[in-house]
Amino acid sequence: MKHALKMALLASTFAWAPIGASADTADGGALIGKPWEEITELAKGGEVNWFLWGGSDNINQYVTEFIGGILKDQYDITLNRVGLSDTVEAVNIVLGEKESGVNDAGSVDMIWINGENFRTMKQGGLAFCGYTETLPNNALVNWDNPAIANDFGVPVEGCEVPWSKAQFAFAYDTARTENPPRSIGELLEWVKANPGEFTYPAPPDFNGSVFVRHVFYHAAGGVDSLLGDFDQAKFDEVSAKTWAILNDLEPYLWREGQTYPASIAAMDQLYANSEVNLTFNYEPAGVGINIDNGTFPPTTQGYGLTDGTIGNTNYTIIPFNSPNKAAAMVLQNVLLSGEAQLQKALPDVWGTKPAIEMDRTSADVQAAFDAIVVHPNVVPAAELAKNALPELQAAWISAIEKGWLENVGQ
Amino acid sequence: MHQEPVLTRSFRVLTGIVLITWLILPLIPLAIWSFAKGWFFPDILPKTWSLRAWEYAFSDTSGVIDSLWLTIGISLAATVLSILVGVPAGRALGMYKFRGKEAVELMILAPTIVPGIAVVLGIHSVFISMGLNNTVFGVILVHLIPTLPYMVLVMAGIFANYDPAFEAQARSLGASAFKTFWYVTLPAIMPGIIVGGLFAFLVSWSQYILTLLIGGGRVVTLPLLLFNFATSGRNDITGAIGMIYILPGIIILILTAKHLSGRSGAVGGFGQI
Repeated sequence: MKHALKMALLASTFAWAPIGASADTADGGALIGKPWEEITELAKGGEVNWFLWGGSDNINQYVTEFIGGILKDQYDITLNRVGLSDTVEAVNIVLGEKESGVNDAGSVDMIWINGENFRTMKQGGLAFCGYTETLPNNALVNWDNPAIANDFGVPVEGCEVPWSKAQFAFAYDTARTENPPRSIGELLEWVKANPGEFTYPAPPDFNGSVFVRHVFYHAAGGVDSLLGDFDQAKFDEVSAKTWAILNDLEPYLWREGQTYPASIAAMDQLYANSEVNLTFNYEPAGVGINIDNGTFPPTTQGYGLTDGTIGNTNYTIIPFNSPNKAAAMVLQNVLLSGEAQLQKALPDVWGTKPAIEMDRTSADVQAAFDAIVVHPNVVPAAELAKNALPELQAAWISAIEKGWLENVGQ
Repeated sequence: MHQEPVLTRSFRVLTGIVLITWLILPLIPLAIWSFAKGWFFPDILPKTWSLRAWEYAFSDTSGVIDSLWLTIGISLAATVLSILVGVPAGRALGMYKFRGKEAVELMILAPTIVPGIAVVLGIHSVFISMGLNNTVFGVILVHLIPTLPYMVLVMAGIFANYDPAFEAQARSLGASAFKTFWYVTLPAIMPGIIVGGLFAFLVSWSQYILTLLIGGGRVVTLPLLLFNFATSGRNDITGAIGMIYILPGIIILILTAKHLSGRSGAVGGFGQI
């Protein structure tokens, strides 16, 4: 008991020790347009708390060791990586702080984000905006590309900085399946011919939701008529067809469609244990990483669809109440650099696609990037990009997710 | 008459074996996974073994070891505070009848009934307004919300079977209030303190969402690291961190095992408030 008391005392003294950066740069407005040297000077000796999904040792190592190393060595900034199971947890912290009136001493300095969570942050006034031009490496970003300037249809408008690009891809086991279906139309027939070999995670799972959107595009006869603002009449027409297709498919799914995997991780396990024969992911490089770490059988092969797959961009965002905005900006600038984007693209590091224009980087970086040999089992990004489909605006996506739950998943 | 104790004993041994099997069996795949590099149905054992998950778990990047000490400190502190609050509260509930007692009991039980996720955002804003968020101390305090019901209920059960006449006798023989507590009350309620403390420790040990929100990412306990990998399907790293995670619980369970048998006063009085 004496020991316990000592530990308690120890713990409570630890708690009273000041936690926070020496350089308080909560006032973001004052940083916008400042010379970059002044911002790095302000950030010096401080810390930055970056909240991001923590379920991959590769990504954790890249962030903590590679990025954290650059920040420490070149800028004297301490990177505190906070692992999340779900990005919404960090958004909720910022939301709770705003509701309690914490406007300049928030606990979150940066979040890895996109889609629905970005919409929440932007619409709720939870994001620090308008500073992206101040970052020197912003010049490497092609903001004229609508796939960069819009995050799931929501205009970015200087409220976040792109980090990586991703494009949906399927994967199959060459030891089990000879000819996987290569379009949504083929897939629907393949599932009926091979009952019990396919399923998809129930929306609102991120990956399950994007699969349902592929079927939605298929039912609409192409994505062109769905772009732009939400159109209720169009939605009613296409969604009725989509639910008919998916309900028709249900008896041929894994466990006769009586249940759906709750997450992509659960579906990957079903695939790894041969319960289903196809899997998919928004991050195509995951196939290589998952083979290397033993999650997937080595005979797994990634592939795209002839009728196209949906692509997106993911970003990093600085909350409005971050007290370490200068350090967070330095971190974002490092993430955008050619060197950091190149490292991230190496197949044994992560293999994900850069969000910057590599031809705007230095000759060395470009040469090294061109020399990258992608993991043989990962479908090359360039091949996927030939048939890329855009994401819909967030209002469409939430309507599709809600409609799936009411009409298919009930 | 002679056979019954033998039967009872073999029944006890049998239930013991079943319980241990249930507790241990699920841990075996976890342990195997932590050394596996890929393990696919229908293989009985992994084809390739690897120490990679353990290397990651012990690396500075994962932060598992720092987090282990921090989690032990927080859980021990939460346990001590639970005991300090739970013993007097249990005494009041177990020994006295007063107006509104049912309401008090319900309030104390509420955290075990109301799902944490429903109230955690409210708790967060209260802790922010008190300046307790993002601190280890705040996390310890917020852990008391789920730990106290167990502590108070166990202590109330103990005090329901407790005869205060012993204290009166000690005082009439000249013992001071402190000596009475130390030599009379404390030994009598010790089994309850141990069992309640064990509950409190384990409940605090497994907190996730309260720690994440109140700790604001500054206070990284083991469940936070574990759930990252458990939800992402990384069975190897989940296995390695999981083995580290269950260790303190097992050690404490072994140390307190004799107080957890059916003959212990703590279990006997449970539920008789």
